[in-house]
Amino acid sequence: MAIEKKSGTGNRRQFVRTQVPLAERVASVIIVVLLAGIGIVIAVKGKHFNPDLFAVRTDSLKSTAAAVEGKAGTAPAGPEAKPAAENSTAEKPAAEEGSAEGGAESSTAVPKPVVKGEPLEISLPGIQPMSDTEFYSADNLFEKIDGRAPAYQNYNVQQLRCRSFNIVAAAGSYVDVYEYRFDSPVDAFGMFALERDPKGQPLDFAPDGYSGEMGYFFRQGAVYVQIIASDVKPETLALTKAIAQNRAKELPADDSGLAGRRKLPAAGMIADSVSFVPENAQGQSDFKDVFQAKYNFDGAELPFFIMVAAPGDATKAWKSFQDFCARFGKVGILPDVNGGKMFSAQVFGKWKVVYQRDGELGGVFDAADETKAQAFVEKYLRGEIK
Amino acid sequence: MSSSNHNDSLRLPEASVSRREFLVRLGITGALIAGSGLAAKKLWQPKHFVPGFEKEKGLQLRSYAPEISKVLPSLAIAHGTEHEKTIRAAMTALGGMGRFIQKGDVVMIKPNVAFDRPPALAATTHPDALRAVAKLCFEAGAHKVIVADNPINSPTGCFLKSGLTVVASDMNLDLMYPETNSFAPLSLDGEVLKEWTFFNTPFKKATKVIGLAPCKDHNLCHASMTTKNWYGLLGGRRNQFHQYIHSIVSDFALMMKPTLVILDGMNVLMSNGPTGGRLSDVKPMNTIVAGTDMIAVDAYGYSHLLERDIAELTYLHKAHDRGLGNINWKDTLYKEVTV
Repeated sequence: MAIEKKSGTGNRRQFVRTQVPLAERVASVIIVVLLAGIGIVIAVKGKHFNPDLFAVRTDSLKSTAAAVEGKAGTAPAGPEAKPAAENSTAEKPAAEEGSAEGGAESSTAVPKPVVKGEPLEISLPGIQPMSDTEFYSADNLFEKIDGRAPAYQNYNVQQLRCRSFNIVAAAGSYVDVYEYRFDSPVDAFGMFALERDPKGQPLDFAPDGYSGEMGYFFRQGAVYVQIIASDVKPETLALTKAIAQNRAKELPADDSGLAGRRKLPAAGMIADSVSFVPENAQGQSDFKDVFQAKYNFDGAELPFFIMVAAPGDATKAWKSFQDFCARFGKVGILPDVNGGKMFSAQVFGKWKVVYQRDGELGGVFDAADETKAQAFVEKYLRGEIK
Repeated sequence: MSSSNHNDSLRLPEASVSRREFLVRLGITGALIAGSGLAAKKLWQPKHFVPGFEKEKGLQLRSYAPEISKVLPSLAIAHGTEHEKTIRAAMTALGGMGRFIQKGDVVMIKPNVAFDRPPALAATTHPDALRAVAKLCFEAGAHKVIVADNPINSPTGCFLKSGLTVVASDMNLDLMYPETNSFAPLSLDGEVLKEWTFFNTPFKKATKVIGLAPCKDHNLCHASMTTKNWYGLLGGRRNQFHQYIHSIVSDFALMMKPTLVILDGMNVLMSNGPTGGRLSDVKPMNTIVAGTDMIAVDAYGYSHLLERDIAELTYLHKAHDRGLGNINWKDTLYKEVTV
């Protein structure tokens, strides 16, 4: 049987396979079985979730939750859409301006918000960056601060941006700059308050801030800033302060949600006693975003709290707290003072005097002396304690 | 019908291949399969802890513990104001460093260098403590001293800022940073620690192991002392263990049988641990605790240095209940000295 030659093959005999040898068939079967086996192994192993290899990027989900600007059906931009606590920031009493802890944080030049991933650049003479800027998200914050990370995650930390700077004039000395960005100024304040140094000295350039022996710690907007010196050499400490001032100036001021904080009177406040309770303050589910501080008043130390909310919510919380106190102690209704209604209660041997005025709810709690607690609240409502 | 037509009907379709082509294709396919297999083997990481995951046998650390003495104390508490003098006093109370380190030993010192904090903040092993312990090791005849830890964040930065790089350089210590190939799978029959990657390289050379830990508050497990210090030998995404923190820390008493542990309580991080950040978090307690039973050492540290109720430190109780140490440190043979 003649076999047609392909052109270009010369005298070479054209090979045409008329049957497949057994060895090839076996090899083919082995290959197919191997491929099937690999597929099965991948499928079986893939059913075991390995957290060492996979992690959820929560950032990628934020687009599904964020409001889209300019489209109907998303969060309206009008003032009625803002939480009551934010609206009330405009009602800040003039007397609170410049107070030791509260007061205005607005600056004349409005700094730009920090863009995620933007290097931490500080233009000051006498310092040099030791390394590149480091960035950590809530998911990998543990890589920087390990077991401390959950405390920050509890307050909805978004990002840590940090960098170290050499002090040129002091060999071996350096300053670490940590900027923890939170979901909101309230969150940042909460974490700041949690770590507050009771011996810290108030800062004149950052109202929610203090200095320690080796560093500066303050909240600016939604950022909790920590500036930590490597030692206490004068050159190091001088530049540590300069860096802190630089960060306070460069980071945008934003006190959204901190209306309750501003309403805490400055007179008699025990230094650095302010704390923030985001939820379940006083064990009440209706008490949210509560600010607390301790006050020296007539020889007694009185814990005092304030919550700012919508008037309806404040009324509901006031009534709910009254019912709660009645279940576990004795409650007495007190006369109204300057538009504020009040009750006192003795619960587990301690006194509470609680008021509600419009959207503001507050009062003294855990006081040993009812008379002093009542006097303090009445003076506050009359504007005699500012 | 012509013969050419007949030949056409016999010809195989255009897709038919020559022997050469077949062999080439077979070779390519085989290479692809082999490559896929190798890549899958390389990418697959079974050496981590996942509940219910199948086990793979890894290494098991040998014991570096000294012989138990019925005469010499197993716990020493020294009070003083200087690291070297106080550590030396604690070691003398235990019978001297010569009891633990012999001539020619390669000593691995495991400090806690988890963070890039300056020494004054007491979040890391103090350089003066490392200097003193290394000095005592050399005096006892150690051939070499290795210093190793696995900080998750930038080992070079952590060692540099904590001041340990300078000590290692001054004293010619062998500073071992974790590298990609420094880890090996560890097998342990722990409460949660079964299979995990472990910073193994230092242990290939070490004949003695000393844990040198600061005494500090810890946000998750109340305290970080000599037992928690071994956490720094784990690799991988070890933060997964945070949800089993007391179990994993108690497992370290099973994982490590060190020659000696030393708890630096000269300056104690009392709050905002494990990172701290403020001098106000630090309290001078002027105490060094050394011993062969890390649970007893930590029990003293928690109650007397952090000044807290030992009843709340779950991981110590877990380890004690499993027979891995004695939480009742006063029941051990101990000696307390003041410099």
